[in-house]
Amino acid sequence: MATTPESTSVPLAARGRRGARQGVLARLWADRWIYLFLLPTAVLYSLYTIWPIGVSWWYSLLDWNGFDQHGTYIGLANYREVLQDPFFWHAFEHTFVFALISVPVRLVLTLIVAVMLNNPRMPWASLFRTALFVPVVTTTAIIGIVMQFVFDPAGGPVNLFLLKFGLIDRPINFLGDSSTALYTVMVVHVWKWFGVTMIYWLAALQTISTEYYEAARVDGANAVRVFRDITVPLLKPFAIIIGVLTFIDTLKIFDLMLTMTGGGPYFSTEVIDIFIYREAFAATIPRLGYASAAAVTFGMLTIVIAVVQLLAARYAQRARRTS
Amino acid sequence: MTPNSTRGTISRRTLAKAVGAAVGTLALTHPLGTLAQDKVTIHWWDQFLPIAPLEKKLFAQFHDKNPNVTVEYKVYNPNEMGQALQLAHKSNQAPDVSTLAGIGLPARKLYEEGWFQKLTNGVQIDKSLPAGSLLEGFTNFDGDIYSFPTFSFRQYTTLNWFNKDLMKLTDSDPETGPKTWEEMRAAAKAITDKGNGRLFGWIFDLNFTDRIAVHLDELAQTAGAPGGIDPKSGEYAYATDPYAQAMEFLLSMQKDGSLFPASSTLDARAARTRWATGTSGMFFDGPWNIGVVQSDLKEFIDKVGVAPVPRPQGTSNLIHVGPQGGTFWLSAQSKHPEIASDILTLFTTSDYYVGLAEQMDQPPLDLDAVDKANVHPTYKQAVGFYKNEVRLGPSAVVRNPAVSLVNAEMKDIHPNLGEITQGVFSGDVKDYQAALKTYNDAMTAERDRALKVVQSKGQRVSQGDWVFANWDPAKDYTTEMYPKGQ
Repeated sequence: MATTPESTSVPLAARGRRGARQGVLARLWADRWIYLFLLPTAVLYSLYTIWPIGVSWWYSLLDWNGFDQHGTYIGLANYREVLQDPFFWHAFEHTFVFALISVPVRLVLTLIVAVMLNNPRMPWASLFRTALFVPVVTTTAIIGIVMQFVFDPAGGPVNLFLLKFGLIDRPINFLGDSSTALYTVMVVHVWKWFGVTMIYWLAALQTISTEYYEAARVDGANAVRVFRDITVPLLKPFAIIIGVLTFIDTLKIFDLMLTMTGGGPYFSTEVIDIFIYREAFAATIPRLGYASAAAVTFGMLTIVIAVVQLLAARYAQRARRTS
Repeated sequence: MTPNSTRGTISRRTLAKAVGAAVGTLALTHPLGTLAQDKVTIHWWDQFLPIAPLEKKLFAQFHDKNPNVTVEYKVYNPNEMGQALQLAHKSNQAPDVSTLAGIGLPARKLYEEGWFQKLTNGVQIDKSLPAGSLLEGFTNFDGDIYSFPTFSFRQYTTLNWFNKDLMKLTDSDPETGPKTWEEMRAAAKAITDKGNGRLFGWIFDLNFTDRIAVHLDELAQTAGAPGGIDPKSGEYAYATDPYAQAMEFLLSMQKDGSLFPASSTLDARAARTRWATGTSGMFFDGPWNIGVVQSDLKEFIDKVGVAPVPRPQGTSNLIHVGPQGGTFWLSAQSKHPEIASDILTLFTTSDYYVGLAEQMDQPPLDLDAVDKANVHPTYKQAVGFYKNEVRLGPSAVVRNPAVSLVNAEMKDIHPNLGEITQGVFSGDVKDYQAALKTYNDAMTAERDRALKVVQSKGQRVSQGDWVFANWDPAKDYTTEMYPKGQ
């Protein structure tokens, strides 16, 4: 029987797939030690990150107080309630105000300090680097409690300092006044995590060859010019990832906010983490389903905002190129 | 003897081995409790840090009489205990005995979810308690006894604890303190004025909204409120004048500048510690305040005085409280209900009540034990105030246990009473009367919704269960006063 191209194509394709499969298996086998060592991380990540995320999607469809053996399936009712809950939107607003102010402040300040510490002529650079990193490794809850005393209106060092130098005529209730509480926590948050972003910048700065700086100086560029025309352009790719990491960090402020203000006074510092905690654990009758719906909604809205931001940035970039 | 016959016989050695193995197997596999000398560990969780030494003593006594029984006792932070219990029950690792601190769900609902088992010696425990201590819906479910109270219902949380040294700066008696709202306000202002910016008249734990809600409620009761729900009508009473008057009274001390400036960030523990540093004159707290001062702030104890909850001039309204629920609960997961129940009987003796009083926490079920106990004079004073000023109010749950299902169905309303108070002090709530009205209406609507849900599940419950036409504010509402035939 004559063999037609059609009849031979099937076994060839099958052979190709088998070959590819064997290739994948062979590669897996060849890299078995890599996968073996990755296994613990993969298992733990699945157990403690992927599984809770997945299960919270399911919980968000239930009316469940956590004590009943089983929740009652209520469809999207929790989501409808979340979207109409003014406390959710206040918490959403506080979270984003917190991020929108503290992320740029942290990025700029840490970059300035990192550039200074990256200068080989800077004395005691290692000492300053360590000192600025110490708050990062200090327990957040302890920092929160200590900061209550630092900002205390009755004898706290910040108020004493401001009074002594005549900057204020009566103590400021930094954490007890809803107009100042959120900003006070921002200051502490930036200070607490300053070291991490600074280390990111230092790592990025160390990828820039010193030859560029030397060449610029030979050409007569001053420090500002060197920074603007060499450092900043070469740091741009790193800036995006450092910005994203800092933003993610800033969304995780539960422990600091809980210990410093507990979300008060009168919900003025209630960020989304505190809102979820209040509904899930601090309520008289816990609402795990509702809290899960709030968490999922917040996650989805954050993704939407990030995507819109990305698309807008690309559009702006394209428009700039075209013009 | 033939070889065949020897195969059918058992030697004495073989018999001894077989019996030994059987006994050993039995000892290893038989349920605990039938073999008296089996090692038994009872796991016990509660949040009573001040009375932990007393409990440890009782457990040690029980161990001395029953050497095979050990109690593994853990004192939790009340905030963490609810979550720990929730997780323990889910993973089948619940302690044999625990309190229900940190769990907002009514005990009846937990009973229905299979959390508890009944006490094996309920009848014996019932006999050792004052009449009326055990109530259906609180300690008993479907006629069986599941728990019992160890503390007296006759207590409130808004005692006015004061610094006797600072009270000397005022017109009030430094030994007895201010009695009325007007006297307290004046005393707070006098301390502040004479303190030259270093002393303040009053410290308030504004960052503990659950607690300040209690304070507001009790102050409102001194102004004539019947409590959060009016037993005469069954309606919520938060929008009535006494709540607004109580708020106005509290706010007046802030307006005078008498409020300790850091109050807005303080919970009860932090406020107590700051008060004990001598920078503020007065502090609202329950009877346990002196117990904590004695254990943790001892150098301050001689300066401590106590006055009853302040009240508007010329009034003598009483504070009404609900019945006390069970303190300790026997888990359905416990494999040693008899032993755990036996240990629980130690918490019903007069010696225990005296010991409990001496820890100066909540007053013991038998208030007379306080007279026999070696306690700080202010604790005796506080219990004396309670005897005069506190009355047992009616409970809709006692009347109809299905009411607890309505309570369990009700979602939290925000801002609640404590949050409104916090907002008033921070300036975020400008019109507190409107806020109280909104809260009152929201609670009413939520109860109506919860009632419908519970009714739709076949329960016979209605708003009428909260109405007690025969309630007399001057008297305790005892079990025989509940409407019959419900």
